[in-house]
Amino acid sequence: MDDQLAVDAVDVVKAFGSIRAVDEITIKVAPGEVYGVLGPNGAGKTTFLRMLLGLIRPDSGTVRVFGRTWAHDGIATLDGVAGFIESPAFYPYLTGRQNLEGLGLLDGGARSGRLDEILEVVDLAGRADDRVRGYSYGMRQRLGVAASLIREPRLLVLDEPANGLDPAGIRDMRALVKRLADSGLTVLLSSHHMDEVEEICDNVTIMRRGEVAFHGAIAELRAQAPDPGYALATTDDARALAVAGRLPAVTATRAPDSGLTVTGPEDAVSSYVADLVRDGIRLRAFTPTRTPLEQLFFMLTDTGVRNEEVA
Amino acid sequence: MTATDVLTGRPTQAAPVLGSRPGLGAALRWETRKLRAQLRTKALLIGAVLVPIAVVVIVHSQPRPPKDTLFGRFATDNGFAMALLVLGFAAQWVLPLLTSIVAGDIFASEDQHGTWKTVLTRSTSRSTLFWGKSLVSIGFALLALLVLAAATIAASVLIVGHQPLTGLSGQTIQPQSAVTLVVASWACMALPMIGFTCLAILFSVWSRNVAVGIAAPVVIGLVMQLVGALGGIESLRPYLLTTPFEAWHGLLAEPRFTGPLLDGVITSAGWSVVCLVAAYLVLRRRDITGG
Amino acid sequence: MRRFIISVIAALAVVLAVSGAVLAGTGGGSSVTEARLERALPTEFANLYSQQAKLLGHRGVTPASLHAKAMCDKGGAVEDNVGPGSNWNCLVSWTDPNNPMPPEGYGKFELDVHSNGCFTAGGPSKLVGFQTITDTRGREVANPVYEFDGCFDPNGDNTPTGVRFPSVLNVTTTALRPDADNRVGLQLSCGTGATGCQGTVTATAGGTTLGRQPFDLQEELTGTVSFPTPVPAGATEVTFTIRTDTGVGPTSPSTLSMPG
Repeated sequence: MDDQLAVDAVDVVKAFGSIRAVDEITIKVAPGEVYGVLGPNGAGKTTFLRMLLGLIRPDSGTVRVFGRTWAHDGIATLDGVAGFIESPAFYPYLTGRQNLEGLGLLDGGARSGRLDEILEVVDLAGRADDRVRGYSYGMRQRLGVAASLIREPRLLVLDEPANGLDPAGIRDMRALVKRLADSGLTVLLSSHHMDEVEEICDNVTIMRRGEVAFHGAIAELRAQAPDPGYALATTDDARALAVAGRLPAVTATRAPDSGLTVTGPEDAVSSYVADLVRDGIRLRAFTPTRTPLEQLFFMLTDTGVRNEEVA
Repeated sequence: MTATDVLTGRPTQAAPVLGSRPGLGAALRWETRKLRAQLRTKALLIGAVLVPIAVVVIVHSQPRPPKDTLFGRFATDNGFAMALLVLGFAAQWVLPLLTSIVAGDIFASEDQHGTWKTVLTRSTSRSTLFWGKSLVSIGFALLALLVLAAATIAASVLIVGHQPLTGLSGQTIQPQSAVTLVVASWACMALPMIGFTCLAILFSVWSRNVAVGIAAPVVIGLVMQLVGALGGIESLRPYLLTTPFEAWHGLLAEPRFTGPLLDGVITSAGWSVVCLVAAYLVLRRRDITGG
Repeated sequence: MRRFIISVIAALAVVLAVSGAVLAGTGGGSSVTEARLERALPTEFANLYSQQAKLLGHRGVTPASLHAKAMCDKGGAVEDNVGPGSNWNCLVSWTDPNNPMPPEGYGKFELDVHSNGCFTAGGPSKLVGFQTITDTRGREVANPVYEFDGCFDPNGDNTPTGVRFPSVLNVTTTALRPDADNRVGLQLSCGTGATGCQGTVTATAGGTTLGRQPFDLQEELTGTVSFPTPVPAGATEVTFTIRTDTGVGPTSPSTLSMPG
């Protein structure tokens, strides 16, 4: 049982008309792992997760969940699996509690008292008896997590759980996901934010237009990451550029509006800054721009780039 | 209990995670619960009580009886005729509408709210949910019919009276048997109404649109009625779902004839089965991409 | 949306194809037939007539004693006696000692028959009275046989009843219109009935016989009989004597005045 993969998807293909939304994707998630599926919107992450949860049939390939397949086991494939796809949806004319009770019925009945505990966990206890119609986006998102938790899952599938939330909501949601991940659950998390995945996932698959762009451990990904970049504002940008010319490991360019963009290994950038100070150029601002992984993610997924040469 | 305890729950437990696998009963309870929470359900049932009472009062106060409809000419001074007049009128579009408002909505509203993905990722299969929804729709149709019939018959008898009724063969029917026949006539609506329920279910599943699910069966009912009334193409009549709505006529004739009732059972059952199977196949094969 | 429209069109095509096949297979046969009406109408009429008799205080009238019989026809000789429509006529005969029948022995009912086997019948007011009647207690009540609704079994006995009544022949000319040569004609109308109207009309004016012309009219049709001999000058009236071989004609000759 333990060596059985939580998710074992092999060569999965799904096309909608002429568009291959998922094109021969293979993803394997071991039990206890926290796995990230990354990609920009439209990369096929959601289509893949829908196939995993049996909402969509794959055109070819196999999807096994704890060794079970939809073709063979039907709804039993979802035993021990919970999660939500895109933003969770509920019945607006029912209260949060009624929604959860009803979904619990469809699970075979939730343990009594568990509902209140879970509402407490997702911080909805105070609003549980209000109709979902009046819930904010973040509350619905948290109710989605609650609806997943009452299934007491071994595998939790979360599709962009922080999507559409305000900064405070994003922070809370990330903290919740991290707590869930730390509790030993297998988590399959999809996102289009590298930093969301970076801090909690062990392995990632980066998808681009239905295909795998990268597949492996986060550590491996980090190794491939480009040098970090910084935004620099100085009292004399022209001289600062000249100073950068003397250091081969550092690249400095003028930023579009003002200031400089500097990339290079951390050590080289530190000594560059020291050189600037020594030359009497004062720093007004020095902030990291994209993290290296983000930078890599954007490169891998060609986001915002005309990508014929990459493809 | 701390948050972490809750989160860890029983994560290492073997599948199935939860106690018993939910069956049709769970789906039925869930759908019933949703239906009861909706305003429209209550409004429909209250309407089914109040509207016939209002109709009876209004028709009763008319100086001239509505002779265009069967039993209309006796309706102002015979309660049983009044109940049958309302029946004939209800069968035209009220009964299809009454059931479509629930059955045409029950699947499409999942699309409307984007909740297919919510319910289909629990431990209840699509098939079980399908039958749960279908049975609850049929149950509601029967309940609405029962309420409408009871309100109409009670209002007619109490407001207009329970005089002997002149049947469709000119025979005089004593009040005791008239009550039975009127109740039986209303009961004859059950099967075609289930047929319309299944038609609404099919449209609800197929169109994924609440408005289509509700309106299409009513419109189709009116078209079928029109087709059934046309001369020259009457051999289509036995296949129309509106024909069983008229099968009760035989009960009010002397000698009584039940051929149309038996044909109606076959027609209604045929439509119901075909629509349900089609809806089932459409839903089973469907990719849930929205929501 | 495109998917939905295509599905709707496909469904409509299937419906049309199936209906076409059913129609082709059955020839569009209707359950509304002469025989079924001829069985349902007299039964219902007899029940309602005895109800009327009770209201009027007539004794000895029961549904059975009336021996009601009917012959039904749709749209005259030109149309088949089958299918719904408001042009059904039924001739109904019955026996009521309180209310003797006219010479032809029946009264004509007009029926509007629906495809579901239900009909509305209007009785001949000459024989059944008007919309309201005065009952034995002096109250104005609805006349049960003036107009009534009924339904027959659409699967009921469809063997011919064999009830046949002759048509009534009526003179419909009210004023003579001689032509340039002073010749006249007579318009006749043949009512609903089994075999139409055949016979001869003899016209005389002032001792001169204008001719003896045969006629042969189908039921529910009108025809004109013209006489070859001009009306002699000075004759003020023309007398027509009708002899019917089939159909029931007027028993006495009709006399019509010459204009001006």
